[in-house]
Amino acid sequence: MNWFYIKGILMLAGMNLMAVLGLSLLTGFTGLFSFGHAGFMALGAYAAAWAGVRMGLPFLVALLVGGLFAGLVSLPIGRLTLNLKGDYFCIATLGFGEAIRLILDNVQTFGGARGWPGIPIRTELWNVALICVAATLFMVRLVNSRHGRNMIAVREEELAAKTVGIDTFKYKMLSLFVSAVYAGIAGGMMGYYTGFLQPKMFGMARSTELTIIVIFGGIGSVSGSVLGSVLLTALPEILRTFAIWRLVVYGAAVIFIMISRPEGLMGGREITLEAIRRLVRGRRAEAEAGAGAGTGVGEVRR
Amino acid sequence: MAQFLQQMINGLSIGSVYALMAVGYSLVYSIMSFSNFAHGGVIMLGSYFGFYLLTLAHWAFPAAFVGAALCSAGLAVIVERVAYRPLRLRNAPFLYFIISAMGASIFLENFVVATIGPTFRTYPTVLPRAPIEIGSVYIGRLDIMIFIISAVCLALLVYFLDRTKVGKAVQATAHNARAAKLMGINTDLVITLVFAIGGLLAGVAGVMFGMKYTVYPQMGGITIKSFIAAVFGGLGSLPGAVIGSLILGIMETLISGYFSSQFRDLISFTLLIAVLVFRPMGLMGKATEEKA
Amino acid sequence: MSIKKKRVFILAACAALCLGLFAQGSAAEKVVKLGWVGSLTGDQAIWGQCELNTVKMMAEELNAAGGLLGAKVEVVGYDHRGDAMECVNAVRRLTSQDKVVCIIGPNASGHAIPIASVLEEMKVPDIATVATNPKVTVVDGKVKPFNFRVCFIDPYQGAVAAGFAYDVLKFTKAAVLYDVADDYSQGLTEFFIKTFTEKGGKIVAKEAFKFGDTDFRPQLSKIKAANPEIIFMPYFFKEVALSSNQARELGIKATLMGGDGWPSEILIQMAKDAVHGSYVVNHLDFDDPEVQDFKTRYTAKYKRAVELNGFLAHDAFLMFVDAAERANSLNPVAIRDALESTDIKGITGNIRINPATHNPEGKEAAIIRIMDGNYVFQQKYAP
Repeated sequence: MNWFYIKGILMLAGMNLMAVLGLSLLTGFTGLFSFGHAGFMALGAYAAAWAGVRMGLPFLVALLVGGLFAGLVSLPIGRLTLNLKGDYFCIATLGFGEAIRLILDNVQTFGGARGWPGIPIRTELWNVALICVAATLFMVRLVNSRHGRNMIAVREEELAAKTVGIDTFKYKMLSLFVSAVYAGIAGGMMGYYTGFLQPKMFGMARSTELTIIVIFGGIGSVSGSVLGSVLLTALPEILRTFAIWRLVVYGAAVIFIMISRPEGLMGGREITLEAIRRLVRGRRAEAEAGAGAGTGVGEVRR
Repeated sequence: MAQFLQQMINGLSIGSVYALMAVGYSLVYSIMSFSNFAHGGVIMLGSYFGFYLLTLAHWAFPAAFVGAALCSAGLAVIVERVAYRPLRLRNAPFLYFIISAMGASIFLENFVVATIGPTFRTYPTVLPRAPIEIGSVYIGRLDIMIFIISAVCLALLVYFLDRTKVGKAVQATAHNARAAKLMGINTDLVITLVFAIGGLLAGVAGVMFGMKYTVYPQMGGITIKSFIAAVFGGLGSLPGAVIGSLILGIMETLISGYFSSQFRDLISFTLLIAVLVFRPMGLMGKATEEKA
Repeated sequence: MSIKKKRVFILAACAALCLGLFAQGSAAEKVVKLGWVGSLTGDQAIWGQCELNTVKMMAEELNAAGGLLGAKVEVVGYDHRGDAMECVNAVRRLTSQDKVVCIIGPNASGHAIPIASVLEEMKVPDIATVATNPKVTVVDGKVKPFNFRVCFIDPYQGAVAAGFAYDVLKFTKAAVLYDVADDYSQGLTEFFIKTFTEKGGKIVAKEAFKFGDTDFRPQLSKIKAANPEIIFMPYFFKEVALSSNQARELGIKATLMGGDGWPSEILIQMAKDAVHGSYVVNHLDFDDPEVQDFKTRYTAKYKRAVELNGFLAHDAFLMFVDAAERANSLNPVAIRDALESTDIKGITGNIRINPATHNPEGKEAAIIRIMDGNYVFQQKYAP
């Protein structure tokens, strides 16, 4: 097993993680299902590349520009679509993602469908790791704050949340905005990783993949998203030897996970230091007592 | 003027293919309240069933047509058993159903790639390709046949739902599953039945699509358009699915014909969002808020 | 699930992960690994599978004849399911873990461009099969040291099509239907229109569809109203078959013309009558005895018709073997150096690599006409 190759998987996992964390806030904590997050990634990617290549801004600033641009665009989109229910919201975001791609296909200044080569390679393992750690910490803080609890309230019982005076629309907006910023930064890192951008890279398949990772990791669990990103990025790589059967196995695995463990890997629980200690000691009594092997979100749900 | 008439015919023909797919979607949605993304996979396999019944088994077209529809119905029931029933028994939220459906759709598509191969297949000629000419407007024979078959299928479906006892049980379950169960309706059976009907429609759609265009593993992707059409018309509403599909078909055609084919989907998605802003449940959708 | 079970589940998942990652460690003696990357799944699978089959068949034949410099060639092929990020990872794996000496593929420009940095870091050369975007090998006037290709590029193909249509066929009114979401299609469209209008022709309609569409009648009806003499269709044969059938159904009589996305047996199966009399810009003449020989070998082995990518993968393999033999070394960098001075005869024509661009130079395009379901060679043409 070669370190160069592992490094590639880890970087990809990190970029996925970035997008998944954001989506996890939207889907896992607020209960909104988006099929258009690849669109936000595309916006972030192109904006970050523009900021870096055309404006000459340093890498990290360019990423921030990408993230903020995606976040900015999410505001009017959210204003229009966040009142829609379930599948209607889903389709509206799908439409948004496809629309972004179509615009980029037609905009020749960024290369259109033929793509934009020559972006400098700036994404390295250390900066991906750094960004991911910062992003994860921020997310943990957010979901454990009052805002985070309010978002969960929106997911669990929107009507009830409304009646106790939570501005549900505001929280949906906030969660869409944050998730768009995360997706934008993830997209930015992708551009500086491949050195090349093409609208094709941000198709619907990427959006669904992100959603699958969120659900796989467990709705409402930040550590689930982390674990899910690493495992599901590695899974297709491990399955490489299956060649053409690879995605058949992948599809079957997704169904299997859903029906055998629909709450996802972490199921609304978090890995905390406490939980790890318990896992290592494996004391039965403790395990039974602490059914929610952790703190944080698990408790909020109960 | 001739061009306009031609474009309207193009639009109707595209719309009727969408409609055939959207109805199956909407039917399952009306009872399960989730989008069955595996529908595209079933349509794709239905198309393959029809193709092989015609070319390998040398069945006559009507027999192959019915055979493909039945096989697809069976497949849809299997998908329900494997991918949805365990979730249903656990009352899982709709998110899980959608993910499971996506898994099923990835599985079906790639299973075909791995076994049958990625090649495109062509149906043997059933109707002559030469179109009917009326003035300078051309109408394909296949288009007329698809239009008629779609209409017949939908009429049969409406008759079944409105006039038969079983159909009423389906409607009752769609309206309120819990109450229907209390009234002695076997909702499990009803759900199986709905998937079977959805599968039948998928098989019909698959054969029609295969005859008109071609058969290939990724053809399930086209159902995304019919899904959009169903949302447009209002999820869970059958007339909504049909009307939404026809509108989407005609709208796409007119945008390509008179504005810009480069930005076609951008404009139609914008219109979709505009409709949803004013009618959040689609054109003919009913409020389904109460359902989980 | 109890806590205990859950723990087992997590641990088992981790164990499976580790096993999977470490399982491929065994090595054999006197083996040289040749990498391949492309689509075995997804929309491009039909071309990708043909490429990998070709490369594998060539390697087997070479091994049966004694191998390469005394070593057996082992082909390691990975799928990237049409995703650029996965393609980068597959190349990372090929270059680091599998230690291949050269990579053949990927077929799409959108995948061949992003792998450049990995190739340069690991110093392994890559021969792209049908990646026709100029930027695969040259960016900002600088040649990428480890990227090569075996096919001609978009500007050339677009210029050939336009030149042939205007100068030889004497058409002055052309329409273009293209796939707006596809890089290849946009590239050919751009250069076709550029050359055709420079020569004095007129583009009367330029209409687009989006990949995944199956109905082109709205666009074709509009093209029909513009009344062109020739319709240029730069995309792949599935859409070509559908759109040409639909064009004829709408009563369009104009001549159709296409690029190297057209040639396939399947096109004939799907649209024999509709494409009758159409012109195709191709890499090779199908009646050439050497081409026939390869086709027979392939069909006998895989029971499938060869797609165009197979021919180019065939020549890419020849390029690799030739370079290794001239370098008399199985070192990737030595192979890279030798690739720069490639001058061989492949089945797609003479391949002479220009060290300044890493493109094959002076490769003449073959103009093919489809007559009664046969690809009939017309002439070689260079603009």
